[in-house]
Amino acid sequence: MNKESRIVMPGELVADKPERISYAYTENGKTYSTVVGLFSDGKLVPLEGPYEPLPDDFVVGIVSEVRFSGYNVDLNCPYKGFLSSREIRERFEMGDALFARIVKVDEVKNMDVGDAKKLPEGRLVRVSSVKIPRIIGKKNSMVDMIRANTGCEVIAGRNGYVWVTGKGDSNLAEKAIRMIESQAHTHGLTDRVAAYLKSQKKA
Amino acid sequence: MGGSAEKPALFTNGKRVDGRGVEDLRPLKIVARVLNDAEGSAYVEWGKNKILAGIYGPRECIPRHDQSLYRAIVKCRYGMAPFSGAEEHGRSGPNRRSKEISKVIKEAFENVVISENFPKTEISIFVEVLQSDGGTRCAAVTAAAVALADAGIPMKDLISAVAVCKIDGQIAVDPGKEEDNFGESDMPIAFSPRTGEILLFQMDGLLTKEELARGLELARNASAKIREVQVAAIRKVYEEPKEERFLIID
Amino acid sequence: MESLNEIKRDTFSALLLQGKRSDGRAMYDYRKINVQPSILQNAEGASLVSIGRSQVMAGIKFDIAKPYADRPTEGVLSTSADLLPLASHLFETGPPSAESIELARVVDRGIRSANIVDLSSFSIDEEKVLALYIDLYILDHDGNLIDTAALAAMSALSSARMPKIEAGKIIRGEFTGKLPVKEKVVTCTFGKLGAKSFLDPSLDEEKGMDCRLTIATTPTHMCAAQKGGWGTVTEKDLAEFLDISMEKGNELRALIRG
Repeated sequence: MNKESRIVMPGELVADKPERISYAYTENGKTYSTVVGLFSDGKLVPLEGPYEPLPDDFVVGIVSEVRFSGYNVDLNCPYKGFLSSREIRERFEMGDALFARIVKVDEVKNMDVGDAKKLPEGRLVRVSSVKIPRIIGKKNSMVDMIRANTGCEVIAGRNGYVWVTGKGDSNLAEKAIRMIESQAHTHGLTDRVAAYLKSQKKA
Repeated sequence: MGGSAEKPALFTNGKRVDGRGVEDLRPLKIVARVLNDAEGSAYVEWGKNKILAGIYGPRECIPRHDQSLYRAIVKCRYGMAPFSGAEEHGRSGPNRRSKEISKVIKEAFENVVISENFPKTEISIFVEVLQSDGGTRCAAVTAAAVALADAGIPMKDLISAVAVCKIDGQIAVDPGKEEDNFGESDMPIAFSPRTGEILLFQMDGLLTKEELARGLELARNASAKIREVQVAAIRKVYEEPKEERFLIID
Repeated sequence: MESLNEIKRDTFSALLLQGKRSDGRAMYDYRKINVQPSILQNAEGASLVSIGRSQVMAGIKFDIAKPYADRPTEGVLSTSADLLPLASHLFETGPPSAESIELARVVDRGIRSANIVDLSSFSIDEEKVLALYIDLYILDHDGNLIDTAALAAMSALSSARMPKIEAGKIIRGEFTGKLPVKEKVVTCTFGKLGAKSFLDPSLDEEKGMDCRLTIATTPTHMCAAQKGGWGTVTEKDLAEFLDISMEKGNELRALIRG
């Protein structure tokens, strides 16, 4: 955390006037945080929280039901995603993993997904969705580093589902992901992860 | 309230049976993030109370007919372990007392949880009393608030609860077991510290208007101290990050 | 989240069939175990045990009770289990499930068969005996709740204290020494998938396995066993599991203080 940012609590004041800040609410002319988060530069980033789907989010999903005209997809949230058969050329089966884009979210939070690609065999690591940007890293730097040191591809969905695939050391890849998840809010994380990967890498 | 045994003197020379002053809380310790499967969790030791809270959700609301199209439904289950009391072995499962407590705790959180973001879901609060020592419902609210914050459930405020008692005519905060049993009044209260609004309020015994006002003042002061302990527990999660979580009881 | 179960089943099953585990353990290794004895004061005994990320608390309480009609000079031993909804997204509120009943009865069977608590010493008078209640409080579920609960129960029994009894009543808060426990009983639970077997299945492994086999042991004998799930075990499996249980059992016993 740089010296301008601080951890705020639910109900803590973040502005003395009404401001439109994500994860904050306004009451009687002042603005308060709704979550435990990092507040800096007028922006509030939650340190924890459930995934709230938005259109154009890229997500990893698991097919949970095969229907007549498409598929229900589990997207790590209490709402169903629907993938229409017309959106894709391949056929999916229950339990298949896919990488897709959220096309539409309606008023009751049902979602349509599209641009779906089936993912090769691998393992699913479920993390808190707010940590995903850190797991991806600036310009994919973190996932690139994990690939270089483990031989595994890491596909991180904005929804908190991370798919680890490839013939490399998937145990180590998962451990690295968990390490990033628990320390996502700290400084110097990239160096620590690099050091950890190097120390655990099998010759 | 009121036992059949001989009533001890509860307030002598400005001190209570355990040596506390009227504004003093019993020792309070809170640890956040102690369970692995629950989305959020917290463990509270308050006096000899040992209380565990866990949160699930937002998740699909079951049964379906409980669902709301407009918001998340907040549910709460408060339970006591059969080995939690100082007397006999208790029975598993909810009884009338625990059902009432579950209801008033749920209603306190229904007010603070920002539920509109998660229509058709439920947010479930589970509280288990592992060891009881008077004031378990206040400790339960205090633990649940930390667990909800740990889960990242958006809330208007970080709330807590504390009880006020009347012992030998004195208004005092945070009754211990003996004060609970032999005192002249018991009043648990949950505050939203930011606004001072009251989210949980119960009372029995006999109080005058002045005693009520004095009790509310003491409770408000106490709730500020409790909040400091809650915030410290939440911050510790991020100051000392761990990949696996364990409940450690000394 | 059933689809998640499907995915996990495939991934972890594939690994197990190759003789590997997702966390890098050997097939007959336990996850990290932590035992906290004597953690509560209201209970006459209580322990908290974690195996991997599973966490179980066992509490011991004594009461005065009427003896069973067919055993009028013996104390009463009763074990129950609560699969608390806070322990897992898989657990629901409601009356005890078959799973929780089985858990309690399996843990109970080992303790009772080996007679490690001398119930005949619990008689107070013609109408009263001591009842010993063991409550298994499941707090966090990541697989192999049986071994976690059994170890917690054994640790609680090993550190429990006898309450003082005066004129046929228990004087709470006063004790007359430790609960005498003859020896320590522990359980070892194996999972089976196809021809492969493995000790201490994690929750992900449990989702894919065909069946489980639990064996309770004293230092010298097998004293309880239970097969769960629809799959099958062979005679060779049983012999092998018993050997491993005797060996691993001693490692578990060494973790219990008191």
